[in-house]
Amino acid sequence: MFILDEQIAYNSGEGLAIANIIELKDVRKVYRVGNEKVVALDSINLTIEEGAFCCFLGTSGSGKSTLLNLMAGLEKPTKGQIVIKGSRIERMSEQELALFRQKHVGFIFQSFNLLPALNAVENVCLPLTFRGVSKEIREARARKMLKDVGLETHYRHRPSQMSGGQQQRVGIARAFIGKPGIVFADEPTGNLDSKTTMEVMKLITGIARQNGQTLILVTHDLGIARYADRVIHILDGNIEKIEENSGNVGVNQ
Amino acid sequence: MAFGFGNLWRRKTKTILTILGVIIGTTAIVIMISLGIGMNENFRRELENMGSLNLIDVHMPYRGPGMMERGGPIKNARLDDKALAEFRKLEGVEAVTPIAQDYMRFAAGKYVTDISVIGMDTAVMDKFDFKIDKGRNLLPGDTTAVVFGSQAPTLFYNPKSRNFYGMGGSNPVNLISDKLLLTMNHQYGERRQSSSGDDSKPLKVYKVKGVGVLQQSNDEKDYSAYMDIKSLEKIIAEGRKMQRQQGVGDFSPGQGYQQAKVKVKDIQDVQRIQQHIKDMGFECFSLSDILKSMQETALGIQALLGGIGAISLLVAALGITNTMIMSIYERTREIGVMKVLGANLNDIRKLFLLEAGMIGFLGGLLGIGFSYGISYLLNYAGLSFIQFMGPVGEGSRMSVIPAWLSAAAVVFAAVVGLVSGFYPARRAMRLSALEAIRTE
Ligand SMILES: Nc1ncnc2c1ncn2[C@@H]1O[C@H](COP(=O)(O)OP(=O)(O)OP(=O)(O)O)[C@@H](O)[C@H]1O
Ligand SMILES: [Mg+2]
Repeated sequence: MFILDEQIAYNSGEGLAIANIIELKDVRKVYRVGNEKVVALDSINLTIEEGAFCCFLGTSGSGKSTLLNLMAGLEKPTKGQIVIKGSRIERMSEQELALFRQKHVGFIFQSFNLLPALNAVENVCLPLTFRGVSKEIREARARKMLKDVGLETHYRHRPSQMSGGQQQRVGIARAFIGKPGIVFADEPTGNLDSKTTMEVMKLITGIARQNGQTLILVTHDLGIARYADRVIHILDGNIEKIEENSGNVGVNQ
Repeated sequence: MAFGFGNLWRRKTKTILTILGVIIGTTAIVIMISLGIGMNENFRRELENMGSLNLIDVHMPYRGPGMMERGGPIKNARLDDKALAEFRKLEGVEAVTPIAQDYMRFAAGKYVTDISVIGMDTAVMDKFDFKIDKGRNLLPGDTTAVVFGSQAPTLFYNPKSRNFYGMGGSNPVNLISDKLLLTMNHQYGERRQSSSGDDSKPLKVYKVKGVGVLQQSNDEKDYSAYMDIKSLEKIIAEGRKMQRQQGVGDFSPGQGYQQAKVKVKDIQDVQRIQQHIKDMGFECFSLSDILKSMQETALGIQALLGGIGAISLLVAALGITNTMIMSIYERTREIGVMKVLGANLNDIRKLFLLEAGMIGFLGGLLGIGFSYGISYLLNYAGLSFIQFMGPVGEGSRMSVIPAWLSAAAVVFAAVVGLVSGFYPARRAMRLSALEAIRTE
């Protein structure tokens, strides 16, 4: 186990030098189902600069999740390059990808995906556990994160003892605890009602903006897309159009 | 990682059942092996009752007719001082003594007895497990001194009395203080001497001195008398000469000693030294021969019993593997989430190996406890059953669990657990993070 210097992991000096934190070049993803080929992504070219909040919007089956998974290194493209923080992640081994995710990536799931055996603090701790951070330090950090998302009364609760909104707050705390450069969220509010959706969105964007983290969000909800600096419309595996949301860009700076 | 235990606990029923499998497997192996060890120990104890395990009896080779044709020992081995000196030189030999033996009559006053008189090297007597009860042991230079076995005093009787086998109770003789006579004449001291011819010269009578009585040893030592071999051989030679003149017996002098005994320092060396002496052309015998064949038998039975135990542990191992694989199915999503959150392959593997190892270790530990219980029951209740089939020595146990066996069993069970967890751990590692987290 190794102890990673938190400050270095977060600031990672060179991050500032590379303006584009994510670069996709001619990315294509084809699934083979039996004898048929399903083109999930046709040809994607895209750059995202550090600290941006991008939202991928599209109908069901358009390829949004596939694109997000490719950028998070959970899947390899059939063709093309994916450069994140200057590294070609499509070439990395599974071991390297695990390390890469530890250092640079946070993840928020639609269905929360908290570990049922662990309580809120332990769940939030997980990314630090994998980094080898000592128990006292990571639990102190986890409590602070939970407080920031308004769950200071639920440290010892297990997922089954919390509402969906509360679970997603734990999920958010878990995604941000390692201060990753990029946070991916695949329909994080898909399982929440509209009131909770607004609260959760405010939390996510608030923390990301405060720390200058890049936020990549997938949704088919126009209301949510409004929070983003940039909305990327996906249609049948291609980028249909990119909308800059000038109002928010100002907020970002 | 702490959540390994959490998971074991969460799936209580399954975990407990799996552990139970390991408990049964471990117990089966341990009890089976402990029975083998108990058997070995009993053999050993029985043999030790029969005599010392580090003694080798050496005889002249049997040279009957037909021996040469069968390609028997051509070597003209003779059990003389030269041969004995060679035995002494062998590594691991503690002491060597020649042995002469004859059946003779002792007389103390009007009481007599006929017992086996054994002649040996007085200088090494203390090396051959002769423990003195009264008086002293034989010492170098003792020519007429005799040491008696513990039961010898009770064997004296008065041949002139009507009920000479009378259960007199108290011993009529004190072998250490009384004047003692020794003769090869087995009618000495009796009223009627039914000798074949009155013209023959009577066999000589020698004055000897009792110096000690041995402790009880429950073997033939109790009924023997011991003296210096040189003196004894002289008596035998003179007696034989006399008998030959009378046309009885055949004695050809100059053949070396009748027998020799070799004491070995370490039981482990007995077989090797024995082989050496055999190679020199002598016949050998030791109790360790019996022990060896008994141990070989025991080993065979032990292997069989252990094999039965091993099969049940194998079944338990399959149980662990099965439980772990089931747990992977149940936890596919969790494993995927952990991977997405940056768990590397080692973390996942460790998680599963730890869990499987824990099941093995706990099962082994409880299995040992269980084994001790069963072993106790076997020794306590089972012994009466064996006694039913045949007598057992005091303190004999049916099942013996030495410390090394319990330690080895726990380690073995833990290793079996780890090995059983290996395949499931690999499967978990290979699991695609994406498959796992894909929303239903
Ligand atoms: N593992 C796979 N095997 C085969 N086809 C797949 C696989 N994953 C995705 N696809 C296909 O790729 C296409 C894009 O899927 P994707 O999950 O990216 O859609 P999405 O835009 O996220 O839709 P939704 O809004 O419903 O989540 C779909 O047609 C889907 O059937
Ligand atoms: Mg999707």
